[in-house]
Amino acid sequence: MEFDIRPYNFASATLAWLILAGVLAALGLGLSLVLSVARNGKGGIAIFSSGLVGYLNDILSISPRRILALTQLTLKEAVRRKALLVFVLFAVLLMFAGWFIADANERPELQVSVHVTFLLTAISWLILPAVMFLSCWALPEDIRIRSLHTVVTKPARRLEIVIGRMAGLGVVTLFVLIVMGAIGLFWLTRRIPDSAKSALNCRVPVFGELYFISSEGQPQEVGLNVGDVWAYRSHILGNSRARAVWVFRGLDESCLTRNAKGEEELQLECRFEAFRTVKGSERSILQGISAQYTLASNPREEAFGMLAQSETVRPFADALRDGQYRNASDRLKQLTERMRTAPGELRPADYFGLHFGLLVSGSVLQYKKDPRLDDLAKLLMDASTAGQAVSEAQRTVENGGNAEIPYAAFADSLDLIAKALVEKSSDLMEALPRLEVPLASFHVAEYHDGDEDSTNLTRVPRKLKFVADYETLGRFLSVTVDDWNGSGRLLEGNAFKASLTDDLVKEAKISQLNAERLVEVLNEQLSGGSLVIDGGKLKVADNRSWFVFFDDLIRREALVSADTQGWMIERDLLNDVAKNGELRVEVACINDQMYLGMARPDLFIRKADQPFWAGYWKALINIALMLLLIIVLGVTVSCIVKGPVALFFTLTFFIVGQFFHDFMLRKLDGIEKGMGTVESAVLIAQHRNPEVGMDVSETAQNVVRAADKSLEGVLWVFSNIVPDFTIFNRAAAFVENRFDVPLGDVVLPAVVVFIGFLIPCILIAGALLKFRELESK
Amino acid sequence: MSNAVIEIRNLSKIYRDFWGRKKVQAVKSLSLDVMKGEVFGLLGPNGSGKTTTMKMLLGLLFPTSGEMTILGKPASDVSKNERIGYLPEESYLYRFLNADETLDFYGRLFNMTAADRARRSDELIEMVGLGKARRRQLKEYSKGMTRRIGLAQALINDPDLVLLDEPTSGLDPIGTREMKDLIHQLKAQGKTVVMCSHQLADVQDVCDRIAVLFQGELKVLGRVDELLELRNEMQIRTTNLSEEAMADVRKVLEKHNVKDVEFSRPKADLEQLFLRTVRESGERPGRRFSTEEVAASGKGGNV
Ligand SMILES: Nc1ncnc2c1ncn2[C@@H]1O[C@H](COP(=O)(O)OP(=O)(O)OP(=O)(O)O)[C@@H](O)[C@H]1O
Ligand SMILES: [Mg+2]
Repeated sequence: MEFDIRPYNFASATLAWLILAGVLAALGLGLSLVLSVARNGKGGIAIFSSGLVGYLNDILSISPRRILALTQLTLKEAVRRKALLVFVLFAVLLMFAGWFIADANERPELQVSVHVTFLLTAISWLILPAVMFLSCWALPEDIRIRSLHTVVTKPARRLEIVIGRMAGLGVVTLFVLIVMGAIGLFWLTRRIPDSAKSALNCRVPVFGELYFISSEGQPQEVGLNVGDVWAYRSHILGNSRARAVWVFRGLDESCLTRNAKGEEELQLECRFEAFRTVKGSERSILQGISAQYTLASNPREEAFGMLAQSETVRPFADALRDGQYRNASDRLKQLTERMRTAPGELRPADYFGLHFGLLVSGSVLQYKKDPRLDDLAKLLMDASTAGQAVSEAQRTVENGGNAEIPYAAFADSLDLIAKALVEKSSDLMEALPRLEVPLASFHVAEYHDGDEDSTNLTRVPRKLKFVADYETLGRFLSVTVDDWNGSGRLLEGNAFKASLTDDLVKEAKISQLNAERLVEVLNEQLSGGSLVIDGGKLKVADNRSWFVFFDDLIRREALVSADTQGWMIERDLLNDVAKNGELRVEVACINDQMYLGMARPDLFIRKADQPFWAGYWKALINIALMLLLIIVLGVTVSCIVKGPVALFFTLTFFIVGQFFHDFMLRKLDGIEKGMGTVESAVLIAQHRNPEVGMDVSETAQNVVRAADKSLEGVLWVFSNIVPDFTIFNRAAAFVENRFDVPLGDVVLPAVVVFIGFLIPCILIAGALLKFRELESK
Repeated sequence: MSNAVIEIRNLSKIYRDFWGRKKVQAVKSLSLDVMKGEVFGLLGPNGSGKTTTMKMLLGLLFPTSGEMTILGKPASDVSKNERIGYLPEESYLYRFLNADETLDFYGRLFNMTAADRARRSDELIEMVGLGKARRRQLKEYSKGMTRRIGLAQALINDPDLVLLDEPTSGLDPIGTREMKDLIHQLKAQGKTVVMCSHQLADVQDVCDRIAVLFQGELKVLGRVDELLELRNEMQIRTTNLSEEAMADVRKVLEKHNVKDVEFSRPKADLEQLFLRTVRESGERPGRRFSTEEVAASGKGGNV
């Protein structure tokens, strides 16, 4: 079970439904016309059309009052026939539940999970048989003892009878479910020991997108595989450049929680798998493997990461990622040099990778809508087009065609980029700021006690204090000085304010020593003439930007931290790191030769927890929808067959929908391997394996394959007619694992599936009942 | 425009099994009309197709061939039910409801207002004599009581056309009597009644016209008084006839060449006896009647 459900596409689901409903309706009508003609000869068409008109008339003349009467009749029947005895069973079950659920020594989360699972399972499996039985038996029984005769000789439409039945059973079910749900919640709060009560809540996760950066710096969709072919997780190698990168979008204040002191925090919860290749000592094994988060805002990775796909181009890409634009320009020139002199040395994949990487870079920069970036973006796009021409020409040649490969044009367009990179390097540096905040490392336990639910919760304070790297420091100082200069907090007359050091400590939150060092350096620069005071404001003498000024100082090591901790600065998680609500979390494995395994749902931002009932009622809704769907199916089937047969059909629907729906879909998608049914049978009979194939003539093979194709068609129809009952279990799984249930992505699909079946079922059931003789035995 | 309430033309019904094989031909090209305001009886031995015909009229069964209209609408049209009341062969009611709830439920199927339903069920329960049992579930009812509540539900909508399938079966003589009175009453209100029954005496009493079916075929159709009139017999009834007077009468008749003269004390039929006993028991409770007393008070014939 995964809890990072992909967003539900309501529109496409509705469209698929409309198509299917249309096809089925056409089929159904066609079939009944054929049947009618077969039975009644020529008159059949008239009978069919008058029947159809009559039915449409019935649909239009539906009366809510009659439906209500029929609904209440069903209600009374259920009550008087003692269907509510199911409560007694439930109560008994809860009373003795203690005998077979977990003891109090387990971890609190586990205890809660076990109890919730027990409760939800008990509720659904107690009501399920009752509902199935009632819905399949009620109508046939009514027909058998002919009480329905008296009803249909009143103006009640048979469609109304069907709806009334469904509604009545539905109300009973809902009532039972609500009461059981309430009792269950009460039972939970009493049964779960106080020590575990804190875990009786719903976590609200925000999932991100995951990709990997290999040890070589190449962005990849999946990481390493450590040997298990079916592994769900990918791995990153320890003590290397390899990273797993989660990108979270749409972050805002609502994602933060407050700690006991009332400070805002971001909770990162993870569940990684540790995999070691060397044994290590017992202690190190128990400690597990160390992992480290780096929170980042990294537009350069975003823009230039894709260029690192090909090894040949990677040095260029790495220079760009590091913000060394002059260096990048040199690397690019080397490339174009090779392209001009020996274009064959670069593989077609290099050209293609370059073309594609340029396209991504250009698009990302364009998307930023920053005037400082527009020129470069355009050059990148142009070069990408030129690169595409190269790739296409190469393909033509490879396929034996004749084409001039425009290497020179590509190289020319790349040279333009190289030139622009040098000219614009300081603009780029300012427009694409990288901010990286490394967090303290933590241990990933290697051996989980029994379950894989061993989680790590990291609380990241909103006010991040961290040691700044060169780039971040340069940016921090330039922004601070520029800002203070603008608001006149820097100078007093023709000198720096006497209180500047103290102010910096207090307001910019840097250490005393570093503040002194900064003021000292600024004074040096002022007296050395690099800084001037003009009109009461401080200025860089040669009109360079503040960032370039400080960057230069830092690189000349003029601003080395004065205290041993390094340049500690404070930044805001939301405003500075997660700009535009986008946060990158890079995960590294620290230990040499060890691996960390992870998959997309393994790391999430945990919002403030919701109370338990917030998820619980949604799980109950899904259970309710499942039961209602069973009622609808049961009543529909029971319109045409007797009770036991109806029960058999409904049960089959349920079992297939619950356990084999996924299989059917995978089979149809070709994910589930294997030959068709008929072919497999032939193979088995001939004792041959699938690689060798059948020992029959060509024609026979075609016949067999055609038979399998049509069976597949049957399977397709089946997979669409049988509801996917697993949809209804999802919400419970969320709550059982202490997650909140996403309304739109888990409850809505269940509602949609239910309604998608409800409407056609009512119409079909109404028609089945209308066009059958109640008397025939 | 004819004032036929029911028109049946060439109606046939073949019961088939699951595989479509013919089992029984229950009705064979039946044609008949029932006029507005008359009481029509369908007679015939068991299994002659009476119930089948009625069910086809109601749309419970679909005819194999032939046409019919009922109240001017095809049998498959549900809206005709607004003006029809149907008492099935056995009362097929919901046994977990009580009499009040039953009538209320069926009333709601006619979209009647709550006040109408309450008034109407009071009337009907009073009429069928279930006042004491109205709050008991139908599963506790005796056969006759079930029949009575069945009748009440058939009349809940004050129908124009009443179809009664063996209305007197299971009823005690009082009930039978009341049923006959009710049918007369319905007729007086201008309603049309179609009934089938084996109680020929009942049919004779209430029906204007009858049809006799035999194995699905229509054998006899006509007015009851015409059908039952015995044209060459005459009956004389009197009281206190002495032996001498009897001999004189015999002589007079022989003079007119009338043979086969028979003198006997008329017997009150069982129905009359039972009715009288019950009535008189009501007037003088706790008493047992001797045969002489019953016979003596019986003089005078019809009740
Ligand atoms: N559901 C059925 N399936 C098959 N045959 C049936 C069915 N109902 C009735 N029949 C047959 O149709 C014929 C007519 O039956 P119907 O019930 O109409 O007779 P009836 O005149 O009402 O008899 P009774 O006086 O006993 O009520 C009978 O031969 C009967 O066996
Ligand atoms: Mg009958």
